[in-house]
Amino acid sequence: MIKSRFGPLGTVAGMVVLTAAIPLLFVIYSSGQLSAAQWAGLWSSRLPMLLGNTLSLAALVGIGSLVLGLSSAWLIARRDFPGRRFALWLMVLPLTIPTYVFAHIYTTLFEEQGWLGRLWRGLFGEAVAIPDLYNVFGAAWILSLASFSYVFLLAHAALSHSSRALEEAARIQGAAPWQVFWRVTLPLLRPAIAAGLAVVVLHVLSDFGAVSMLRYQTFTLSIYLQMSGRFDYQGAAGLSLVLVLLSLTFLAMERFFRTRQRYYAGAQGAIIKPKPARPWECVWIGLWLSHIVLFAFALPLLWMLDMTWTAWQAGALGERFWGYVFNSLLVAFCAASAAMLVALPIGLFHVRRPTWLSGGFMNLSSVGFVLPGPVIALGIITFMLAVLPVLYGGLAALVAALMVRFLPLAVQAEEAAMQQLTPSVEQAGRVHGAGPLENLWRVTLPMIRGGLGVAWVLVFIDVLKELPATLILRPIGFDTLPVRIWIEASEEMLELAAPAALMLVVASLPALWILMRGKKGR
Amino acid sequence: MVKRVGLVLISAVMGLVSAGSFAAGKDELVVYSGRSDSFVKPVVEAFTKQTGIQVILHNASSTELLNKLRVEGERTEADLYLSNDAGNLQLGSELGLFQPLPEASTKLVDARWRAPDNTWLGLSARARVLVVNTKVKDLDFIKSVFDLADPRLKGRLGITNAANESFVAGTTVYMLAAGKEKTRNWLQGLKDNAGKTVFDKHGKIVSAVAEGKLDVGLVNHYYIYRHLNEQPNAPIRIVLPDQGEQGMGVAWNVAGVAVSKYTQKKELAEKFVAFLVSEEGQKIFAEVNEEYPTRAGVPVAARLPTPASVKVANVPLSKLGPERDATLDLIDAVGMP
Repeated sequence: MIKSRFGPLGTVAGMVVLTAAIPLLFVIYSSGQLSAAQWAGLWSSRLPMLLGNTLSLAALVGIGSLVLGLSSAWLIARRDFPGRRFALWLMVLPLTIPTYVFAHIYTTLFEEQGWLGRLWRGLFGEAVAIPDLYNVFGAAWILSLASFSYVFLLAHAALSHSSRALEEAARIQGAAPWQVFWRVTLPLLRPAIAAGLAVVVLHVLSDFGAVSMLRYQTFTLSIYLQMSGRFDYQGAAGLSLVLVLLSLTFLAMERFFRTRQRYYAGAQGAIIKPKPARPWECVWIGLWLSHIVLFAFALPLLWMLDMTWTAWQAGALGERFWGYVFNSLLVAFCAASAAMLVALPIGLFHVRRPTWLSGGFMNLSSVGFVLPGPVIALGIITFMLAVLPVLYGGLAALVAALMVRFLPLAVQAEEAAMQQLTPSVEQAGRVHGAGPLENLWRVTLPMIRGGLGVAWVLVFIDVLKELPATLILRPIGFDTLPVRIWIEASEEMLELAAPAALMLVVASLPALWILMRGKKGR
Repeated sequence: MVKRVGLVLISAVMGLVSAGSFAAGKDELVVYSGRSDSFVKPVVEAFTKQTGIQVILHNASSTELLNKLRVEGERTEADLYLSNDAGNLQLGSELGLFQPLPEASTKLVDARWRAPDNTWLGLSARARVLVVNTKVKDLDFIKSVFDLADPRLKGRLGITNAANESFVAGTTVYMLAAGKEKTRNWLQGLKDNAGKTVFDKHGKIVSAVAEGKLDVGLVNHYYIYRHLNEQPNAPIRIVLPDQGEQGMGVAWNVAGVAVSKYTQKKELAEKFVAFLVSEEGQKIFAEVNEEYPTRAGVPVAARLPTPASVKVANVPLSKLGPERDATLDLIDAVGMP
């Protein structure tokens, strides 16, 4: 019977997924109007170049964030040195800086008169040209700095929870420390690394800020130009469809490798305690980590502070500025809450009744991560104007688009928490006479509140930084911090963009604190 | 915890319900503005002071806002559209997004600065010119923009990236005045001369020429004066290309305004347009950015070349819209960065 398989939960989950899939349907519909000749035109004129550019960028950023994230995670999880807790924080802070801000700052710093430009001239003289960021290496540098924290977070969690037994056994069998790392620690880490890399690569595939700033032609930038410069929505949709297929292939590969490799550790194993670092070790650990922090956070922060100080002295931070802060917080709050709520039925449906259907729902809900922001915005506008015109023009359209965009983050966080839910506790609640809703409210939700919190925080931080969809969908005169950064920076008024970027960092801190507190508690 | 979730839920719902409160008031005008905020605000403030009508500036790039207008259609909240590029204005006009402006306003502006059907109106004009470092001696051979493709300028030329609206519009003019083949070769030459370093901002090109890192750059005229305002002794000067009997003339573009076809506040919107072309409005609008006012008789900043002394390319601004795709194709074919 279909009804028993589907149930009210499945119906609600289905409705959420349908909403999330609106932009995808829009893309499929629009690209369906492309003729064979137009497809051929797209193929011959840009697809090979875009594929090459996008894939090489993704590969470089993957390598970059692996080097940065894995090394710092291992050092912080396995070595005890002064300032270790602090270092843990510093490695996550780059997440508060959007990629377009990174790009603005680094292009400015590497100018002839910029801090790094002058340093470079001082070190190398005129002989060696100052590095040029407007290419694949520049984009990879910036995206690696902006996203290695995802690899760090997952690898650190895995490293600090892995059991001591296996590594000790290897040592007893006579393996050298590097052999233990290579043959035991690293293979055990593979699922975490794969998950971290997946998040990084998806961010690269959907990044718009850095690549548009650096004029590096990837799919997202090309789609945007096709749509906005040439009014060619069908061509843009065609390119989007290729990007979606690319992302889905990548996700499927990641999942395939992850399910093929399962590693189990005995439940009773003692957790590894970090080894106290010897003094000389402290020195090079300190050197390595401080270099990462310097480039990924300290330099951008100093630059923002410097510029903000200039703006402050010029009296440029008026009442309106605080209005932008409020707007940003309002949107992030609404979208995070909405995403947290609507992710529930999808996760629950999949955990309770894992079928091909619920799995399909899970996959469909990740559309937001594989479509570029402007395309999602366009899909939502078109849908709203056709079906719900009353809601258009307000916050609802914007919140809906951002919810769709970041739903995958919420779904994944909540599903992970639900997997650990013991069915017997819920059944006990039902036996004691609680209805399904009361049971959800009083038993299930309190038990997964950690996962709910993580979901909320992840979406909150990303919405706070979101630019392309917000730019298109915000209500009239409603400017958020990223929108202001974009406007001021495009007028070359960087001293006005800097305070907004600084506020983004500050506003993300409480949310990050919630996330990190949860990490330490485990 | 349950309470907390409840609170979150209620606030989220409230946020969504407050959706309607962003609509503009009865006597407020909504302007989709693709021109820099800092250049539009002075004129808007003067208008509000004079009429009491509030203006909400909704800022984004001209092209993006035109897309928004197009998708929104009759549901749009925009009363006016302000753009930095005649190409966008003409495209909007051809998409049927605008309505004809009253003759009282249009007759004040020379016909070459407005749409053939009066659906948009240029407010300030800018010229594509060259900025040259005065200390460099061997640049006298540059008489035309096409000389910028000369191999002698390898590594010495500054241009913006090819997504820049002014670059695209200028290229359209050259393509229509000198032909596709010549323009294509010219783009190839520019690409070779500029190397991999193209600029995202005109201002940076002028700075680079002033600092002697580059010798010549292709920019809009006001960027040169903006730089001279800050550093009056900078060793740069303006060169008007393609002048004289044989020259094709300078490429022009305008920043302009149009009234949305679907506005509910036609009268107020037309009042705003009337203010923009009034002597006071023209003075403010053009002066903040040292551009040429489009209304005849409004004085031009003293150090700018007088309008009468400049030969202008014979390409109607309305061509900048429909021909843009052809220009983009050319740019793509060459692979301009």
